[in-house]
Amino acid sequence: MTEVSRRAPQVVMRLARLGSMHQSRLSFMRVLTRRMARENWRFEKTAFEINDNGVGHAVYTAHGPERSYSLIAFAHDLPPEKRSDRVIADAWDATYTLFDGVPTGSDIERLSANIPVQEAGRVTNTELSVSRSNRSVRLWEHVVDALAKGDQPSVEKIDAVGYLMRTTAVYGSGKLGAADREMIADRPEFRAPFQVEMLSVYLTRWFVLDLVQHMADVRARENGSKAVALDVDIARSMGIGNSTGLGMAPFLLNHPVLFNNWIAARENAVQVVRGVQSATAEDIALFRDVFERNKKIAETWVSEHPIQIEKLAALREDVEKVDGYLADADLNAASPWNTLYEWAEEHLSLEGQEWVASLILEPYGALVDEFAEGMAADNTATFRIAGAMKIGDLRALLREIYGWAIETDWTAPASKARAWYVSEEKLEPRLGERFEEPIEEYEQPLAPGRDAAQLYQALAHWSEDAQVADFLLRHPEHRHVLRRVQIVGRAPYAEIRDNTISDHVLPIDMLRCKLSFFGATKFDPRSDRWVRICMYGNAPLPHELSNENADYWVFPQLEKATA
Amino acid sequence: MRHSLNEIEAMSKRAARGAGLSWGLSEEAAKGTRWLSAFGFPGAGLLADLLEMNDRIPSIDVSPVSLSAEIWHAPTRRMSPLIAGASLSDSAVRLLDRGTIVMENVSIPLLAVPFMGGAALRLGVPVAAEWDGARLATDGRQLCVQASPEALNADHVAKLVFSAPADMEGRREPLLRADVPDNDWDRLSAFAHRTFAPATEESRLRGAGSGLSDND
Repeated sequence: MTEVSRRAPQVVMRLARLGSMHQSRLSFMRVLTRRMARENWRFEKTAFEINDNGVGHAVYTAHGPERSYSLIAFAHDLPPEKRSDRVIADAWDATYTLFDGVPTGSDIERLSANIPVQEAGRVTNTELSVSRSNRSVRLWEHVVDALAKGDQPSVEKIDAVGYLMRTTAVYGSGKLGAADREMIADRPEFRAPFQVEMLSVYLTRWFVLDLVQHMADVRARENGSKAVALDVDIARSMGIGNSTGLGMAPFLLNHPVLFNNWIAARENAVQVVRGVQSATAEDIALFRDVFERNKKIAETWVSEHPIQIEKLAALREDVEKVDGYLADADLNAASPWNTLYEWAEEHLSLEGQEWVASLILEPYGALVDEFAEGMAADNTATFRIAGAMKIGDLRALLREIYGWAIETDWTAPASKARAWYVSEEKLEPRLGERFEEPIEEYEQPLAPGRDAAQLYQALAHWSEDAQVADFLLRHPEHRHVLRRVQIVGRAPYAEIRDNTISDHVLPIDMLRCKLSFFGATKFDPRSDRWVRICMYGNAPLPHELSNENADYWVFPQLEKATA
Repeated sequence: MRHSLNEIEAMSKRAARGAGLSWGLSEEAAKGTRWLSAFGFPGAGLLADLLEMNDRIPSIDVSPVSLSAEIWHAPTRRMSPLIAGASLSDSAVRLLDRGTIVMENVSIPLLAVPFMGGAALRLGVPVAAEWDGARLATDGRQLCVQASPEALNADHVAKLVFSAPADMEGRREPLLRADVPDNDWDRLSAFAHRTFAPATEESRLRGAGSGLSDND
C-alpha cells in the first residue's frame, strides 16, 4: 500500500510552478460542459436581428432542468482605431450580458442602452454578467472573404489564431449592478466557480460563428453570389479567445480562500490518483489516448513571447521524454501514476511536471470530479480575526508560512522594486516601478510577503502570551496581513509563497494559473503582464453536446490533426 | 440608485482607505457597510458621515484605550464605531466571558452593530447591542430590531452595551440588493478617489498593457 501525501504548499504555491499549470478535469469549462450534457440542456437561438453592416442584437437561450439563461449579444461596427483589448477601451466589436431567464422586448431595449457602453452603463439583478469581445481582424476578414467567395477558410490560418473573437473582460458577481454571486450561489448549476462566465463564453462562441456567417452572406449578396456555409468541423475547431491583463493577478491575492479551494481540489485529485494501486486496461488505454492527443496541443501551441518560447521548448522536450518513458513503462505495475509522477518530478521542467499532474487525472473522473464541488468559497467564516490567538502562536504561523519572506532583505531595492496600484482610468490595476514613479502612496495590499515580514518584526518585543486583539488595537496597520496569516493557517494553499513586488516578478504567472483553472489552453503572453488564450476550442457546438463528447473535447482528435 | 452588495462593499473599502484607515480596518468598514445595507439600513450614508467626521485623523485617537478596561473609552471621548466594533469582534471570547462589554461615547453606534454579527458567528450564540432608544440582536444571520428611527440614526451615544448570549425576537432576513442615495454614493466616491493614482502616459503604456496593437 503506497501512502501518497498531498504536495506541500511550499512546493505548489511558487509563482514559477503556478505559472506552469495546465487545464484538467476540474477546469471550470469542463465542469460546465459535463453538467450541461448530463442534464440534457437545450439550446435555442430566439433572435438574430443584425443588419448588413453587422449592427444589431441576437439572443441565445440555454434551457437547464429548472432554469433558463439567455446570452443577449449586441453587434457593433467598430472603427479599427477604437479596437483595444485594454480595460481602458470604450468601444468593442460586440458586447454581451447573460440574462437570468428569457428576456422580454423591454429588457432588450433597456439593455441596449447599457450593455454597449459596458462600464459606463448599469444593469440589474436579472443580469448575471457583462462582457465584450473584439475581432481577430486578420482571421475574421479571411473567413468572411473565403466563405463569401464560396471557399472554406484555411485550416492553417485558423489554427494559427484559434478564434474569431476574443473577450476582453467578462464581469460577474455584482459588477455594474449585476446580481451578486450570493444570489445565485445555491443553484446547483452555479455551485462550481465561474460557471456564469463560462456559460456566457460558451454561448458567445455560438453567436460569433453565426455572425461571421451572416457577414459572409451579406458580402456574397453584394457581389451577386452566394456564400458557402462554414464547415462544421472547422467551426468546432474554433474557440473564443480571451485577452487578459493585470486585473486577474490581484484576484488570486484578494480571494485567498477561493484560491485555496481551487488548488486544494486539484492537489486532492492528484493525491488520490497517485494513490491508485493498479490501473485497469481501460484506464491505461484512455490515458495513452489522451496523452497522444494532448501532444498535439503542445505541437500547435504558438507564442512569440521570449518567456513562453523558452517554456514551450522545455515542454516539448518534456513531452518527448514522457513519450520515451511511456514506451518502456509498465503501467500494469503497482502504483503506475505515482511512479510516473515521481519520475516527472525528477526529470521534467515545471511545465512538464504540471502537464503530467493534470494528465494522470483523466481516466479517473469517478474519483476526482466530485472535488469540483468544493471549489467555491464562502468567506464569512474566515474573515473574522481570532483575537484570542496568542502572539506566540501567531509568530509560529508566520515562521512556518512566511519563512522565506522573513529571511528576505526588504531594504534591498530589488526586493520591492514594483508596486501594485489602481489607476484613475476605469480603475485599471497596474504594476509600476516604486522608485521611478509617484505611486507608492497608492499602493494596494498585494505584497503579502513583505507585509508578513513587517508584522513579524513588529511582534518582536511582544510577549508570547499577549493576545492578537491587544496587538491590533495598537497596530491597525497590520490588521490586513494578520487576517491573511490566520486564513492561510487554516487554508494552506491560499498564499503564494513568493515575492509579488520584486524586480523580476512575472504577473503572467498569476494570470496563467487562474486561466488554467478556467480550462484555457495555448497561453500566448503579449508581455510580462498580458496574455491571450483560447477557450472552448474543439468543444462540441451546443446542438452537438452529449455525454460522449462533453469531457475530452479539449484534446484534439488525432485523425483531424494529421489531415 | 440600486446597487449590488459587492459594489457597496468595494466602494466602502476604497472610501475608508481614502479617509486614512488602514487596509485591514477598511475591509472591516466594507463588510460592515455591506451587512447594514443588506438589512435595509443606510450603511453607505452612515459610513460617509463617519469618514467625514474622522477624516485622516490618527486611528489611535478614536480607539479604545484598553480592551481589558471595565468600560471601553477613547482618549478623545468619541470612539470610532469601526475600530471599537473591530475590537469587539476580536474580543468575542472576552465578551462571552464577561457577559457584557460597555463602551462610552461612541460615534454613529449603528456602524458598530455588524461586528456583533461576526462575534455571534464565532461564539455560536446571539449577541445584542443596546443604546438609548435602541436594541438590536443578531445570531450573525438574522437581525432583530427594536428601535426608534432617531436612535438608529444617532451620531453619538453616551453608552453602548454589547451582551451575549442575547434573546432574538422578531427576526429580519437580509436582502441581496440595496438602494443607495446618489448623494451618499458621491460622498463615498470622493474618498475612494483619493486611492487612485492619476494616469500618466507612461503608466498607461507600461503599467498594464502589452504595447502591441490589438488590430491583428
